[in-house]
Amino acid sequence: MFKQKTLEEVKASARRSSGSSSAAFYNNPNVRAIFYQILLVFGLGYFFYSIISNVLANMEATGIKTGFSFLSASAGYDVLMTLISFESTDTYGKIFIVGFLNTLLVSAIGIFFATILGFIFGVAHFSHNWLIRKVALVYVEIFRNIPLLLQVFFWYFAVLSALPGARQSLSLGEAIFLNVRGLYLPKMVGGDLFWVAEVALALSIAGIFVLRRWAKKRQELTGQQFPVLNVSIAMVIGLPILALLLTGLPFEMEYPALKGFNYFGGITVIPELMALAIALSVYTGAFIAEAVRAGVQAIPHGQTEAARSIGLKEKKIMQLIIVPQAMRVIVPLLNSEYQSLVKNSTLAAAIGYPDLFNVFVGTALNQTGQAIETIFMTIVVYFVVNMVISFLMNRFNNAVALVSR
Amino acid sequence: MKEFQPIPARPAPEQTVGPIAWMRENLFSNIPNSVVTLALIAFLVYYIPPIVDWAFLSANWSGTTEDACVKEGACWVFINAWSYQFFYGTYPIEEVWRINLMIVLLLIVIGMSFKLPKHYRMKASIAAWLALPIIGMAVLYGGWGGLEVVSTDLWGGFTLNVFMAAASIIVAFPFSFLWALGRRSQMPFIRSVSVIFIEFFRGVPVLSLFFMGSVMLPLFFAEGTNVDKLIRVWLVLIFFMSGYMAEVFRGGFAAVPSGQYEAADSVGLSYWQKILLIILPQVIKISMPNILATFVMLFKNTTFLLIIGIPEVVQTLQTALSNSYWLGGHALEGYLFVFLVFWASCFGMSVLSRRIERSMNTDKRD
Repeated sequence: MFKQKTLEEVKASARRSSGSSSAAFYNNPNVRAIFYQILLVFGLGYFFYSIISNVLANMEATGIKTGFSFLSASAGYDVLMTLISFESTDTYGKIFIVGFLNTLLVSAIGIFFATILGFIFGVAHFSHNWLIRKVALVYVEIFRNIPLLLQVFFWYFAVLSALPGARQSLSLGEAIFLNVRGLYLPKMVGGDLFWVAEVALALSIAGIFVLRRWAKKRQELTGQQFPVLNVSIAMVIGLPILALLLTGLPFEMEYPALKGFNYFGGITVIPELMALAIALSVYTGAFIAEAVRAGVQAIPHGQTEAARSIGLKEKKIMQLIIVPQAMRVIVPLLNSEYQSLVKNSTLAAAIGYPDLFNVFVGTALNQTGQAIETIFMTIVVYFVVNMVISFLMNRFNNAVALVSR
Repeated sequence: MKEFQPIPARPAPEQTVGPIAWMRENLFSNIPNSVVTLALIAFLVYYIPPIVDWAFLSANWSGTTEDACVKEGACWVFINAWSYQFFYGTYPIEEVWRINLMIVLLLIVIGMSFKLPKHYRMKASIAAWLALPIIGMAVLYGGWGGLEVVSTDLWGGFTLNVFMAAASIIVAFPFSFLWALGRRSQMPFIRSVSVIFIEFFRGVPVLSLFFMGSVMLPLFFAEGTNVDKLIRVWLVLIFFMSGYMAEVFRGGFAAVPSGQYEAADSVGLSYWQKILLIILPQVIKISMPNILATFVMLFKNTTFLLIIGIPEVVQTLQTALSNSYWLGGHALEGYLFVFLVFWASCFGMSVLSRRIERSMNTDKRD
């Protein structure tokens, strides 16, 4: 049975609970917050103190040096593939840069092809052709659900090492060769006036931005559309070729040629790079395809119907109505997929592609024993690269985001 | 009086129903489509029969040594001969019942969280889940009640992948929950510590975390303490997972309508009563698909353990491939088998998560 309270009693209890003077100070949420945070400060402080003192004691016991002076010491080992000239007498600092460039290279290749694959298979999901839809589904469900490491191994050990040897290379028009040692591509070696073509390329890229702005303004004023995409492609390809023709083709093609047991000359793509780049592109491509599918599906069907009813063609509906709206969903997902691609490129260590992780946390750590410094430096690089990606994608996202009025 | 006699419905025009119409609409709707269809069919007809022939028709199925592989096709004998190692690593065969027992226990706990009567399902299954990794560690390692000690060096194979993934996500569960709460907290210091923790473990390549576990972590412990390598990696995986799961939970917390928080406050529940009794059950339900997706990611990432020399299934496969009795180049068979095992588990979980998502959609009340 509940006891009926008198009005006085209720008032008194209300006064007790609301009046700050009568409540105990330890029941004040602000006091409690400060108390908890002080507790956390002390807890963390003790935690880090004990870790650091343990680390120092352990390092002294095992005789590991500390500090970053090892960066200027000679490394004494060679790196399989370098984008800048490198000798085994060079320093650990230079190895760091070499590895960083290799990481950037494989990430850029991976991002490029993963985006293409992802968009192709993501859009294929909406094809009118049943077979194409099923192919897209099979691609996504297979490659998304198999660990990346297995895919890297598969390409490296089961596909690329099953290629023929140098003398039986697969070749394409006697210019591109593929064998068990890698892919050999012809290289363009510029002559005296080659810079004219380079300037033309830069000019045409700059011209595209001007053109786009002009076309948009004209459309807003007059309603007339301009074929920006076609003209841009024509400009990027046409202008440099025109420049080359006008200056009398000032370049030579350097073709790879079989000398002894291997091909020399041209550009060599080592199988480690190929395997890693293929695996990263195919794996991330499957995730991007899912992102694209989600983006397109997020658009209500009414949008398509409305566009049809005002008489837009199917191609224009895609270009003007569906894609710009889908991008709002796709871009944030792309951002995280790109970041995980960069993080996953550390799997280079499994097959020996000399990326930053492999040459630095792998070999340099082993030789110097300075685990904390090497791992710290490497982690910082991945953080920075991912932050740059995030920054760029957010800029891009702002460009495609819905402008609310 | 005339009775109303409906005329029987006429059959639909032949152009719109039946397999011919379906093919006309879905495969040959216009000329480019027809070209693509024919090209794809040609591709499949060209490649599927040799693959089927290699994998099934002229494959070698029975035998125990490489000499049994006499036919042209795949040598599944290789898989057969190494299947124990692929699943259990080098765990002693007379003790393997312990691993099987743990698998059965895992299935029982999974079943419990779906089938128990509603009023104590949550409490019982959460307790069972949290106890599972500890029981698992005790049973698999042994050293008590007459169980022989099985050193962690001997653990391996696919069950190690499962154990590492399951044990770390379960232990990470309560921690990630706390980190997510910390990130939502009003207290500035607690919030910033949580943000730094979460973003650190989400932003770092998982491989560098494994290296931290194997190379850096021993420096952190007091001199003389020797923590097993597998435990160190487990520890790192727990941290890694709690970062990811914290974000999953944060999404879940944000998805619970704010009226739920306010209602809990207004009936006078304390903070922990509100969180544990009102919010958490809803958060777990909302986040279930994402939890499963995170688990699939972790499960796939356990293969990375090979790089620091832990004999999980891919490492076992590599060892088998370089065994001197099996040098006939069985890489394709081996990889296909491991592919299939992982694909089946991950695809199964993604189907399950989609089903959970769908079943949740029906009882949503706004």
